[in-house]
Amino acid sequence: MSEEILQQLINWIALGSIYALLAVGFSLLFGVLGVIHFSHGDISLVAPFVALAILQTALASLSWFGGAADLVLACLIAIAAVGVLGIAIDRFVLRAFRDKPAMMALVTTVALGIVIRELIRHLFPQGGNPHAFPTPLAEPAFALGNVVVSWFTVLDVASATAVLLVLSILLRKTGVGVRIRAVSQDREAARLMGIDANAVFRNTFFIASATGALAGLLYASYVGVTRFDFGILAGLMGFSAAVIGGLGSIPGAVIGGLLLAGVETFAQAAIENGTAYRQVFAFLLVIAFLVFRPAGLFGRTVTEKV
Amino acid sequence: MAMRDTSEERASPGLLGPGLFVILLEALLALLLFLFLTSESWIVTVGLLAAAGAGFLWLQRNPEIETRITDWFAQARLVAIVVGGALAVAFPFFLGGDSYVLHLLIIAELYAVLALALNFQLGSANIPNFATGASYGIGAYASALLAIHFGIGFWGGLVASAMVATFFGFVLGVPSMRTRESYLALVTIAFGVVVHQVINNVTWTGGPNGLVGIPAPTLFGHSFAEPIEVLGFRLPSQANFYYTALALIGLSIVVARRLHHSRIGLAWNALRTDELAARCQGINVTWYKVLAFAVDAFMAAFAGTIYAFYIGYISPDNFTFLVSVTIMTMVIVGGMDNIFGVILGAFLLTVLPEKFRVFSDYRLLLYGVIVIGMLMVRPEGLFPKRLRRYGGHG
Repeated sequence: MSEEILQQLINWIALGSIYALLAVGFSLLFGVLGVIHFSHGDISLVAPFVALAILQTALASLSWFGGAADLVLACLIAIAAVGVLGIAIDRFVLRAFRDKPAMMALVTTVALGIVIRELIRHLFPQGGNPHAFPTPLAEPAFALGNVVVSWFTVLDVASATAVLLVLSILLRKTGVGVRIRAVSQDREAARLMGIDANAVFRNTFFIASATGALAGLLYASYVGVTRFDFGILAGLMGFSAAVIGGLGSIPGAVIGGLLLAGVETFAQAAIENGTAYRQVFAFLLVIAFLVFRPAGLFGRTVTEKV
Repeated sequence: MAMRDTSEERASPGLLGPGLFVILLEALLALLLFLFLTSESWIVTVGLLAAAGAGFLWLQRNPEIETRITDWFAQARLVAIVVGGALAVAFPFFLGGDSYVLHLLIIAELYAVLALALNFQLGSANIPNFATGASYGIGAYASALLAIHFGIGFWGGLVASAMVATFFGFVLGVPSMRTRESYLALVTIAFGVVVHQVINNVTWTGGPNGLVGIPAPTLFGHSFAEPIEVLGFRLPSQANFYYTALALIGLSIVVARRLHHSRIGLAWNALRTDELAARCQGINVTWYKVLAFAVDAFMAAFAGTIYAFYIGYISPDNFTFLVSVTIMTMVIVGGMDNIFGVILGAFLLTVLPEKFRVFSDYRLLLYGVIVIGMLMVRPEGLFPKRLRRYGGHG
C-alpha cells in the first residue's frame, strides 16, 4: 500500500510540474494583456506536433545523431518555433485589440484556439487521430524501495524547476524582466518612462509560448500520445492553476499546479471510478478556492481608491 | 448629438418616409436570409457574405448613415415590429416544405434566446459567464427527466425546468459575490465543466449515451409530431417548434426591453460602467449580479426544454464548454447590449458553419477566421450598443 502511495506521489509531482509551467505562461500573458489568453493551451500543444513533424521528415532522412539526440534537437526546434508563433499571434492578431474592450480580446483568443486546433488537424497528416509521442529516458533512474523513478520523471521535474527558477531571476534581475513587470503594472506609465510596449509584448509572448511549448512536450511524453484537441483541457488546467495560485505570481503558479495535479491524482487513485470524476474534483476545488480566496493564494487583494 | 438632431428634423416631416424605408429594409433582410439559407451554390453564399462584409465596412466608415437608419427604426417602431413579426411568421411558408432549412432556423432561434439570456450578464452588466451552456443543459435534462419518469408534459416541463435552472443560477451567482473579471470567468467555466462531467458520469442521466424517447408535446390536442395544415398549405412538423421558439424569442425580446428600461437594467449598466461607483450610489451590487445569473439561467432553461422536446434525444455533448463559448461569441459578434444585434449574431453564427458544409472539413476553421475577422473590422460588434435616450423622441 505504501508503495502505491509513493508511486502516486511521484505521478503527482510529475504532472504538477507540467501544470505549473502552463500556469506561469498564463500569468505572464495576463499581466501584459490584461485578459486571459485562452488559446495559450492550444499554442503550447502545437509543440509536440512540430517535434513529431521534424522527427518524421527532416531528421529521419539525415539521422545525424540517432535516437535520443534527435528527439532533443526536434524538441528544441519545436520550443523555438512555438515561441515565434506566439510573437506572430501577438503581432498580427492581438495587437489590433490593445485599446479595445477586454471582452473582444477574450473572444478573439477563444476563436484563435479553434483556428489553431483546426490548423493542426488539417496540416498534420491524419491530424484528427491521436499520435504516439515518444517517451524518452523511460529507464529507471533510481529506486525508492520497490518504486522505480524513471529518468523521464527526473527530467520533467528538473527542467520545470530550472525553467521556473530562471524565469523568476529573469523577471527580477534583468532589464527584460523589469520592463515586462513595468508594463504589467501600468502600460501607460511604462510608456512614459520610455519603454517600448510592443517590444515587451514580443518578449512576453516568446517567453510564455516557449515555456508553454516545453510543458506541451512534457505533457505529450507523459501521456505517451498527443492529439489536436488536448490544448483545451491543458489550457483550462493551466489557467485554473494560475488563478488558484494567484495570477502574476510564480510561486503561486507552482502551488496551484501542484494542488490541481494533487486533486486529480488523488481522485484517480483513491476513489472508486475516480478517473471519470477527476475533472469534477479539480474544478470543484477551483470553485471552492475562488469563493474563499477570491484573489488566489498568492494574489494581492487589490484595494481600489475612490 | 447635433448630428442626430438634424437627421431627426430632416426625417420628421411625415412618418411615411421612415415607415416605407423600414418595410423595404426588413423585406430585403428577409429576402437575403432566404437566399442565404436556400442557395445550394457556395458562390452565392460567399457573395452574400462579401456583400454583408462590405456593407458593414461602409457603415463603419459612415457613422452618420448608421445613426439615420437607427433613427428611422425608432420613429417607425410599430411598423417595424408588425412587419418584422409578419415576415417571421410567414417565412416557413416560402420554404416549400424544406425541413432542413426549418431545422436550421429552429436551432438559430434557440441560440438567439440563449444569446439574449447571456446578454443580460455580458452585455448589460459585463459579467463574463461561460456557464450558459450548463444552464441550457440543466433545463433540457430537467424537463426530459420529468417527461420520461413522471410523465410531465412539455408545458409543465417548461415551467419546472426553468425553476430548477434558476435555482442553479442562484447557486452559481453566490461565488460571484466575491470574485470579479477573470476570476469570475473561471468560476463559471469550472461550473460548466462540473455540470457537463456530472451529467456524463451519473447513471440516472443516461451517462454519455444521453436520454432517448422524449415524447412530442401537444397543444389543444394537436401533437407537435404532426404537420401543420393552414388554408391548404402544409408545413412540416418542425414548423410547430419553429413557432414555439419564435414565440419564445418574442417573449425574450419583451422581457429584455422591459428589463433594459427598468431600474434593474439601469443598475446593471451602472455596474458595467463602474462597480465601485455603482456601490457608492447605493446600488446593491451583489444582488443585481446574482439576479443577472438567475435571469440568464431561467431563459436558457426555456431554450433547453424546447431543444430536448424538439430533437427527442439529448446527450451531454450538446451542452459542453464550447456551447457556452459559442453563445458568448454570438453576443459579442452581434453587439453587446443591443437586442437586434444579439439575435442577428445568433442567426449568423448558427447558419454560417452549416453553409460551410460544402467545405466540409474546413468549416470550423473558417468559422474561427471569420469571427476574428469580424472583430478586427468592427470591434464593437455588428450592432454596437446605443446610448440611452430619455424624453423627446423615445
